[in-house]
Amino acid sequence: MPRVCSLVLLTLALPAFGFAADVPPRVIGFERFYADDGDAVAAGQLLLGELNCTSCHQAEPSLASLVQKKQAPVLDSVTTRVKPQYLLKFLADPQTTKPGTTMPNVLAAVPEAERAKIVESIVHFLATTGQVTHANPVRQHVSRGEALFHAIGCVACHDSRKEPAAPPLATSIVLGTPSRKYTLPGLTQFLENPLAVRPGGRMPHLNLTANDARDIASFLLNDLDVASGLQYAYYEGSWDKLPDFGKLTPKEVGDAANFDLNVVKRKDNFALRFDSTIRIDKDGEYLFLIGSDDGSRLVIDEKEVINNDDIHPFQQKRKKVKMTAGLHTVAVEFFEQGGEEVLQVDFEGPGMPQMPLASLIVATKASGTSPPPEMFKVDPTLAAKGREYFASLGCASCHSLKLSGQTIASTKTAPALASLKGQGGCFADLPPKSPRYALSPRQKETLAAAIAAARQPVKSLSPSESVERMLVRFNCAACHDRNKLGGVEVARNPHFQSDMPEMGDEGRIPPSLTGVGAKLNPQWLRTVLADGAKDRPYMFTRMPKFGLENVGEMVAGLEKADAALIKPAPKLTVDDNDKRLKAVGRRLVGAQGFSCIKCHTFADKRSTGIQALSLTTMTRRLRRDWFHEYMVDPQQYRPGTRMPTPFANGQSTLPAILGGSVDVQTRAMWDFLADGDQSILPIGLVTGQIELIAFDEAVVYRNFIEGAGTRAIGVGYPAKLNLAFDANDIRLAMIWHGAFIDAAKHWTGRGAGFEKPLGDNVFNLPAGQTFAQLEGSQAPWPVAPSKEAGYRFRGYRLGAQRNPTFLYSLGDVQIEDYPAPVGESDYFVLTRTFSLSSAKPPANLWLRAAMGGKIEPQEGGGYKIDDRLTLKIAGPGKPELRQMGNSNELIVPVVFDGGRATVMVTYDW
Amino acid sequence: MLNKSTLLTACLALLAAPAFAQKSDPEDQYYRMLRFPMSEQIVLEAGALEFMPDGKLAVATRRGDIYLVDQPLTEKPDEATLSVYASGLHEVLGLAWREPWLYCVQRCEVTRMKDEDRDGRADLFESVSDGWEIGGDYHEYAFGSKFDKDGNLWVTLCLTGSFTSEVKYRGWCLRITPEGKVLPTCSGLRSPGGMGANAEGDMFYTDNQGPWNGTSGLKWLRPGKFVGHPGGFRWYDITAGAIGPRPAEPQSNSRMMVEAKKIPELEPTAIYFPYNKMGQSASGIACDLSGGKFGLFEKQLFVGDQTHSTVMRVDLERVQGHYQGACFPFRQGFGSGSLSLIQANDGSLFVGGTNRGWGSRGPQPYSLDRIVWTGKTPFEIHQMRARPDGFELTFTEKVDPATAGDAKSYKLNTYTYIYQSVYGSPEVDATEPAITKIEVSPDGLKARLTIDKLQEGHVHELHAAGVRSAAGQPLLHPQAYYTLNYIPET
Repeated sequence: MPRVCSLVLLTLALPAFGFAADVPPRVIGFERFYADDGDAVAAGQLLLGELNCTSCHQAEPSLASLVQKKQAPVLDSVTTRVKPQYLLKFLADPQTTKPGTTMPNVLAAVPEAERAKIVESIVHFLATTGQVTHANPVRQHVSRGEALFHAIGCVACHDSRKEPAAPPLATSIVLGTPSRKYTLPGLTQFLENPLAVRPGGRMPHLNLTANDARDIASFLLNDLDVASGLQYAYYEGSWDKLPDFGKLTPKEVGDAANFDLNVVKRKDNFALRFDSTIRIDKDGEYLFLIGSDDGSRLVIDEKEVINNDDIHPFQQKRKKVKMTAGLHTVAVEFFEQGGEEVLQVDFEGPGMPQMPLASLIVATKASGTSPPPEMFKVDPTLAAKGREYFASLGCASCHSLKLSGQTIASTKTAPALASLKGQGGCFADLPPKSPRYALSPRQKETLAAAIAAARQPVKSLSPSESVERMLVRFNCAACHDRNKLGGVEVARNPHFQSDMPEMGDEGRIPPSLTGVGAKLNPQWLRTVLADGAKDRPYMFTRMPKFGLENVGEMVAGLEKADAALIKPAPKLTVDDNDKRLKAVGRRLVGAQGFSCIKCHTFADKRSTGIQALSLTTMTRRLRRDWFHEYMVDPQQYRPGTRMPTPFANGQSTLPAILGGSVDVQTRAMWDFLADGDQSILPIGLVTGQIELIAFDEAVVYRNFIEGAGTRAIGVGYPAKLNLAFDANDIRLAMIWHGAFIDAAKHWTGRGAGFEKPLGDNVFNLPAGQTFAQLEGSQAPWPVAPSKEAGYRFRGYRLGAQRNPTFLYSLGDVQIEDYPAPVGESDYFVLTRTFSLSSAKPPANLWLRAAMGGKIEPQEGGGYKIDDRLTLKIAGPGKPELRQMGNSNELIVPVVFDGGRATVMVTYDW
Repeated sequence: MLNKSTLLTACLALLAAPAFAQKSDPEDQYYRMLRFPMSEQIVLEAGALEFMPDGKLAVATRRGDIYLVDQPLTEKPDEATLSVYASGLHEVLGLAWREPWLYCVQRCEVTRMKDEDRDGRADLFESVSDGWEIGGDYHEYAFGSKFDKDGNLWVTLCLTGSFTSEVKYRGWCLRITPEGKVLPTCSGLRSPGGMGANAEGDMFYTDNQGPWNGTSGLKWLRPGKFVGHPGGFRWYDITAGAIGPRPAEPQSNSRMMVEAKKIPELEPTAIYFPYNKMGQSASGIACDLSGGKFGLFEKQLFVGDQTHSTVMRVDLERVQGHYQGACFPFRQGFGSGSLSLIQANDGSLFVGGTNRGWGSRGPQPYSLDRIVWTGKTPFEIHQMRARPDGFELTFTEKVDPATAGDAKSYKLNTYTYIYQSVYGSPEVDATEPAITKIEVSPDGLKARLTIDKLQEGHVHELHAAGVRSAAGQPLLHPQAYYTLNYIPET
């Protein structure tokens, strides 16, 4: 064997041939559970599978099934995903190119020049499988991808990529710089279905949508030139309608990440225009939604699609549009005058749920100037040679590659596992003919122990042990604990989040698997392992799918391992078709029963409290016996859970129902819930409007009112006029006609959020100080908030018909502000009488009666404000109309007489 | 539809629960429960209770109404009448009378109101103080106390989202002086559930399990102190040193007593209510000041639990200047989630309830119940007091010395909670100390337990299931949970 001799000689001749910065192959389960101690045989058996040893070294069948070798990536179309330029580097020295890789260096001992030639041939051969396509990531996708990457569970196995970088964890699979290896379409394709390329399930399938996969790939490749598909232009000024943007000069232009207000520089008096191009993949009907406070407009292909103009509280408009596949231009225009500001642009398409319109944006230009990478040209002669190497060097032992339907067979042979010595060979620092793995001393030690054990018949494992081995192998332990094994590591814990922080760990940490075989029914376990799951809507991580061919054994394993924990549910002599029992179950689940719906959702119906997982999933997921036991004592199964029992001390809190029997009551609930998504809704789940109506007296409503702040005082008058006073800004904020307000938002559930007027013709009055001292009638109206200017809210007095008079003060001046409807039958206007008193009346005190883009004096007195409202002023002071910047103001001097002054303003709109 | 101008009576359509609680409940023999019937028209989600000078009971609701119960001390709650006193307020969680005004603490401000035209309804509403801010999150509750001896009203302000302090004074306790001035009083609050003073006039509030709160607890609002959650520290910058400088940040993942030794401002939780064993969300507080009309528990505190629909009993003592002590189960079976508590001048205890947004064992959506002492004293652990080497138990009646003196009659274990920035905590650092000696006092009312050994900073959970009274009765509630922050030196 002259060739071998020459290699040995070469090795001896090149003592400096070394791998200084070796990182041993990274196997998470090994690093976490066996790196320093633990059962050496178990650790070695883990490595036998994860390093794919048994692909070359044949193992006895029971051992082979025990180690469940991790199949190397399928290479059928490898160069549609991976850049050949990267493969050249990687194959020449996998460990340096990708530290921690489990791919051995097959050519470690081959001299560099010769190695380069072999690698080149192999890459030419691999490159016959296809061509990569290039694309630049789009900024919107990068930012969404970043959020997804850190939320859905990627960081359970990989390091966080947030800045500033945290120290890398020994229990992470290193991603490095994926742009060296992947193009955007290539990585997207991989992430959409990792199991197609890596069938072994160590990188599970996260059920990503095509957009999710693209966005995560975009984020991972964010060192490439990032293109923007969305430009914004930002304007400052005061408008009460969308301005003609063509006539304005923007204060700033740039790339935006989304159709939102992140780019604006102040809270009031600005406008924005966005321009972008979107790609529609499928012909069909698309629903576009644009919601804003104040006005907005959506323009597609130069045509106005939705007009949501004017000053208003948040208001969403929607329109269905037939769209053809291809590129379309989209423009969004928006302006904000005062108060709150929101912009939200969404769409819904065939088979696509509602999502931000920005997710359809395509890049029209890349910001960088990097030239497109060169195409890799396959040399057929080299490729033919490469194919031979692929078979002879043993590549084909681990990697499957089909060419015209034929899998390339490996011609490399290796001794059977049981015949190995446990030293030299693959263990060597520079193996003369074996692949080089860069094993750590502990890895060698445990592999040697496993090889030694392989000479004996395999010790069979208990169901519990088998399950534990799988939890380690597939790194289930990164997210789940079971009987003290695994669980979320401290350093990763902050990445596990939920949108329901008050659920505590229950809301954000994936469930414990202790006793799970006694909890979940086997069909459901199978479904979860085969398809993944997302039953906890509040939890950001997803249960990925690992594939039944990989983890299917876990179903029976868990069931056997936890069999002793199953306590059969009590036997009842209940007719299985007892519809009355089901009806009682519905009552028990509802608001006047055990109030399960206060915390649990019910299919797509939200609960009134926290949004715990849907009751309609219970019978699909759980074993009935477990359900019974859990209802009686939740703490026993989930220590620290917020779930209360309706059966404290074994007694029902509803003793009058079904004789108070715990057994029958749990059974009734089970039977009701067994209808799953077909269940009729429990009582108390759907709450209607609670409209507050003023009959013969005014109705006061203090709460969060949109447009009037957190200290709003709404007043509805029997005359069907309404107002909202902002007691924080100490001003009348809004007036409107018709219905007063719906209290349901605040009077059901926890009462979250702001409620807007229920009626019509909402007119917003200017924010800020109502009265101010001015140095002359041309001095600008002060911008400081009322409180800072010395205003104090003092309360209100209810008078005739319980109409309130608002009481406030400005320094020494006491102000009474009495609004009241005046009129008859169905035509009322609102008069507002200000009565001021002061021992030391200030000079130059003015009332700002109105503000608007347009204020026109009317014949016969009065002023028309923005074509919407007619305002009349009565009192000794002469009103002055003045233009201040982009807006007009109507101000009235306050004339004191004997320490008192009165001004009356009438609003007719 | 809403028409509040007419007098409404409460005996309309009855909601689910019967007028009387479960008669079979053994607690009912000693403390019976009278249940006011609820109607669908009057949504009596009782956030606060106060007696008016004419003896009517004012009940303020989460919907912002204040109702007056005309004869609260009636033996026939079905015949009680409710009238509207005020409407349109913003989630009222505090009521206090001071002639001639009824004060309320609503989400937005402290308001005082009176009925100037004597038509039975308040017509003048004066803003006394709005010295805090509201971001618009529903958690930003404001609870109010009764008046203290200086005439101040105490206000506790929940954090934004119950996690952070986004606007001024969220997570603080303020005192509002009679002139409406704001006195910043304590920082470190998270999500208060109720407030009340003890017999000495020291103010306490309950806080709920969450960040920096391993479980719900009773905390002393000692002016100048920091009570656990550092989320609101930024507001020290605007207090002008009123309660001293900003304390050091506590270390997360520690223990409260470890941090209390490093941070002098940190006042440790006086009483932990072990999660699920005692309750899940502690609420209103009432002190028994009836001079014996409510039984033997004079000067002890009664604390509600919203989730469990219970009232718990708390016995405090002062050790090294700090309050600590034991909690015991007292009474279960309230109609809805217990929230507001007040003691009437006949000694009886009113408990208002709601389970809107947060479920409760009590199945009614809202409730008003009254607990009256029957004159019969239950056999209970009256007090559990710390000693340098153990505990002294006082019983409500003479014990059988044989069982009370037998270590096998007791089971003792200890644990504490992780003091951390993430939500809640499991019970940790568990020990099972031995009871090495028991001495029963000659009068048969006390048992002195020597423990090997006490654990500083731990809840000491005692089950005295084997102890019998001289008459051979077991304890009505054998369990007691003592929060041993400090071990007395003598």
